[in-house]
Amino acid sequence: MGAIKDTFKGFWNLLIGLKTTAKYLPTRAVTLQYPYERWPMPERSRGVVVLLTDPDSGELNCNACLVCMRQCPVSAITVTQAKNEKGERYPDSFTIDNTICCFCGICEEVCNFDGIKLTGKYEFSTFNKADLFYDKQKLQELGRDVKYEKKKKPKPAPKPAAPAAETAPESAPKPNDTAEDKS
Amino acid sequence: MFELDKALLAVYNFLQGWFISVGIPVLVLDLLVMLFAGIMVIVVLLLAALFLVWWERKVSAHIQDRLGPMVTGPHGTLQTLIDALKLLQKEDTVPASADKRVFFWAPVLAFVAAFMAYIVVPFGKGLIARDLNIGILYIIAITTFTVISLLMAGWASNNKYALLGGMRSAAQIVSYEVPLTLSVLGAVMLSGTMSMNEIVEAQGPYFWRWYWLPQILGFGIYLIAATAETNRTPFDLPEAEQELVAGFNIEYSGMKFAMFFLAEFVNMFTVSAIATTLFLGGWQPPIPGLSFIPSWVWFIGKTLLMVFVFMWFRWTYPRLRVDQLMGFAWKFLLPLALINIFLTGLGVYIFR
Repeated sequence: MGAIKDTFKGFWNLLIGLKTTAKYLPTRAVTLQYPYERWPMPERSRGVVVLLTDPDSGELNCNACLVCMRQCPVSAITVTQAKNEKGERYPDSFTIDNTICCFCGICEEVCNFDGIKLTGKYEFSTFNKADLFYDKQKLQELGRDVKYEKKKKPKPAPKPAAPAAETAPESAPKPNDTAEDKS
Repeated sequence: MFELDKALLAVYNFLQGWFISVGIPVLVLDLLVMLFAGIMVIVVLLLAALFLVWWERKVSAHIQDRLGPMVTGPHGTLQTLIDALKLLQKEDTVPASADKRVFFWAPVLAFVAAFMAYIVVPFGKGLIARDLNIGILYIIAITTFTVISLLMAGWASNNKYALLGGMRSAAQIVSYEVPLTLSVLGAVMLSGTMSMNEIVEAQGPYFWRWYWLPQILGFGIYLIAATAETNRTPFDLPEAEQELVAGFNIEYSGMKFAMFFLAEFVNMFTVSAIATTLFLGGWQPPIPGLSFIPSWVWFIGKTLLMVFVFMWFRWTYPRLRVDQLMGFAWKFLLPLALINIFLTGLGVYIFR
């Protein structure tokens, strides 16, 4: 009797298996049709490095301080300085070698002027190795419409020196006078 | 909707009158009709095989929460056609140490044997190429040719994996042929005939009178044995990828490979068509009120349902071990099939 019972049990288990696969048949596929659809990349994902442009003036935020070039662990960044007629520094050339860039994000971290940023772009393979050296035009073009949050708050331009002199003593704790000052 | 047999008969009668009036012997017309039937069967089966390959990929994909082929044509429907065209263009390599003649004829035999079974399959009311009075016996005899072709392929390739695959398939198909034939006998005993058309007519247009209910045991044995006959999972030992790379067809490329591949799917369609004919009422509608839908639609629909069941098996069950496989056939299915025949005989004796 045991053998017959086992046989029925075995066939019952086979039916359970069929039920399990049938349950998954009508469910929605998890596949993403990659070349036609893409996942949205997270804000802080580390892909292609770009140069950021000031949306108001339309010029590069970079002022060629060379800090990214010095900090780059693989020496992928090459910048040359130049000065315009107003005496402001600007990058004459700015080259990123994507063949050795390791996408560590240190350049973005050390930049004090929101000049450089890593974006979510990741499809930049080419048939020609030389195409991976991105020059200034290419980097500016890539970073043209990249949204970014300003690290450095703009200086209160209208009152340059006087408020600064006033705020310095105020910042020192003066417990007795605070109420009067505020009023 | 219309019945194809009446339309074909009208065309035949018209042509016969025309032939007589012109003065050509009617024998020529009969030969042309045979040729036409043969070509139609081949065309329909090739289309069915192309469709089944696509459908198998879709079923497997959706069971595994994937999408399967999606790019070529709407939902990838043209994918198999493109694959077949690609295989046609490929170089046809023959191993240097192969037995060349046997190597060449093995896929041809597999292909021809797979198609020959369709001479006696009733696709619809009157849609049968030749209604042999030993129809089911003929089918069982012809489908066994597959073993020879697989063994030829395995031997001629001169490759250890191919040979092992061919040997396994020979052992497996010969073993499972016995319970398959015995399970088919139950339906033959109930209808009292071996002609496929008469078996269908004996079942009548009532789904509770079809032979799946009185032959529930035979139907189950047939399903298991047919899965083994077509070398499909859980009985796909002849082509067990993990052990044998690809089994008997490992050395084949190009069109010869495609012939094996298509023959495999045609065989699957064959066993489904036989299951439909013997156990699911063939081209009969489930209730008489549904007879306005043409008979060939019912036949194709039921056959595709059976094909789906085989695909469902394939993507659910893991593979058996060799000794389990043989033990299952000889120690379990064979006695069960004999018991089924005994019970059927008893039932026929009592209720008639």
